[in-house]
Amino acid sequence: MKKWIFALIVCVLAVMAFAPAAFAESAPPSNAKKGDFTQVDPASRTAVFQPVDADQPITMKIGDAVNISDVELNQRVLVSLSEQDGEPVATDISVMFLGITLQRLIALLIVGLVGGLLSGFIGSGGAFVLTPSMMALGVPGAVAVASNMCHKFPKAMVGTYKRYRYGQVDVKLGVTMGVSAIVGVELGIKMQERILETWGSTGSDLYVSFVFVIILAIVGGIVLRDAMRNKEEAREEVKPRLALAMQRIKIPPMMNFKKAGVVLSAWVTVPIGFATGLLAATIAVGGFIGVPGMIYVVGASAMVASATELLVAFIMGMWGSAEWALSGLVDIRLTLLILAASLFGVQLGALGTTYVKDHTIKLVMAAVMLIVAVSRGVKVPVYLAKLNVISLSTGTSDVLNLISFWTLILALLVAGGIISSAMIKGIVSAKAEEAEAHEAIAEGA
Amino acid sequence: MNSTVKQKPYFRTALLGVVSIASYIALFTHSSVVMEYFIKGGLYAALPIATALYFSFVHGAFASGVLSLLGLTAKGH
Repeated sequence: MKKWIFALIVCVLAVMAFAPAAFAESAPPSNAKKGDFTQVDPASRTAVFQPVDADQPITMKIGDAVNISDVELNQRVLVSLSEQDGEPVATDISVMFLGITLQRLIALLIVGLVGGLLSGFIGSGGAFVLTPSMMALGVPGAVAVASNMCHKFPKAMVGTYKRYRYGQVDVKLGVTMGVSAIVGVELGIKMQERILETWGSTGSDLYVSFVFVIILAIVGGIVLRDAMRNKEEAREEVKPRLALAMQRIKIPPMMNFKKAGVVLSAWVTVPIGFATGLLAATIAVGGFIGVPGMIYVVGASAMVASATELLVAFIMGMWGSAEWALSGLVDIRLTLLILAASLFGVQLGALGTTYVKDHTIKLVMAAVMLIVAVSRGVKVPVYLAKLNVISLSTGTSDVLNLISFWTLILALLVAGGIISSAMIKGIVSAKAEEAEAHEAIAEGA
Repeated sequence: MNSTVKQKPYFRTALLGVVSIASYIALFTHSSVVMEYFIKGGLYAALPIATALYFSFVHGAFASGVLSLLGLTAKGH
C-alpha cells in the first residue's frame, strides 16, 4: 500500500511540475541560442546561423574572443550573443552535445558514484561536484546544469524511497518545505539572470563564489562545532535552543511533523524552504542550508534532516528539470551515465546512515562545506582579476585554478573516506553483535 | 525463536540487470535519433523526464539488488 502511495505522490508531482510549464513560455538564458552554423567566412569573421526555434537564419559577426577556426558547420552548438552597432555578435560558442569518450565515461561514472554516496548520506552535495566536473570535461555550462538537474531528481527519488523505508523521512516536512523551495528557486534564477546580464559570466561566477564562501564557511563552522560537541559529550540529541524558541510560535496552521518529533507552525518552515531553493538556484546545493535549517530551526535530528532533504531535492529537481527540458538543454546521455553509478552510490550512502550516529552525518557535512568553501574562495581573486578589479599574473591564476580543482577533489576524498570508514566500522560491529546474539541463543538452546 | 532467512534476490537482480543494460544499449546505439527528439523542447520535454524516471526505477532496483547480493543492507533490514 505504501509503495502505491509513494508512486502516486511521484506521479502527481510529475504532473504538477510539468503540465503548467508545458504551456508557459520558457527559454534558455535569453542571450543564448541553440542551432547550427551553415556557412562561415573567416576573412570577414561572419557566419550564417540557423537557430532551432526559427525558420530564418541569422547572419552574425564572430566576436574577437572566439577562434574562427573553432566554428564548425552543421554541428549543434549553443551560441552566446550580444549586440554591437545593432548587429548580433557571437561572444561564445560551445558544442552542445559532446562525444562520449572512454575517458569522459569513466570520469562521469566515478563522479556519479561519489556524488551519489554523498547525497545518500548527507542529503545533498552531489551537484556542486557534478556540474563543475562536467564542465571540466568540456560540457557547456547550461547543458551541464540541465543534465545534472535531470539526473538529480530521479537519484533523489531513489534515495528518498530508501531512507523512507528506514523510517527516516518526514514526508510532511519535506513536501511543506518543497513548495516554498520552488518559490526560492524561481527567485534565485531571476537573480542569476539579472547578474549575468549586468556583469557577464565572470561577474556571475564571482557572485556564486562569494555565496559559496560566506554560507559554507559560516554554516559549516556551526555544524562542525556541533558535531565535535555531540561526539565528545556522547549525548542523545537535545533540541537546539532556536528550535525550542520556534516551537513557541503558534501561528496556524500548526503541523505535527512526526518523524522530526516536533509540532510547529508551517510558517517556520517557509523561510528554510525558500532559502534552500534560493541557494539551490545559486550554487546548485540547497541542502547546505536546508539540512542545517531543519536541524537548528525545526529541531529535527541530522538523520531525519538529511533524509527529508532528499525529498525536498526531488521536488526542486523535478520542477527545475521540467524547465530545462522545455529549453531542450538536457543531454540525456550524460544524465543516464551519471545515473548508472549514482544510483548505486545514493543507496550505499542511504544504508550507511543506519550504521552511524547523528554526529557522523554532521561531521561529513561540515567537512565537505568547509573544504569546498576553500575551493571556491581561491577562485575569487581569479574572477576579480578577470573583471580588472585586481591584477594577477597568468601563472598565479593557473596555480589558483589548480588549487581550486584539487581542493574540490580533496572534499570528495575526505567525505568518501569518512563515510566509508564509518560504514565499515558500523557494519563490522553490527555483524559481530549478530554473531554474539546467535551464539547466546545457541548456548541457551 | 523463529528466524527467517531472507532469500537473496538472484533471479530478480539478474533480470533487472538484463533489462537495464539492454535499455542503455538501445538508447546509446540510437543516440542521434534520441537526441534529435529530446532537445526539441515544448511537449517533447516529457521524453527526457520520462526516460530518467524509467531508468531510475529499473536501474535503481537493479542497483538495490546488487548491493543486497553483496551483503550490503541497512541495519535491521
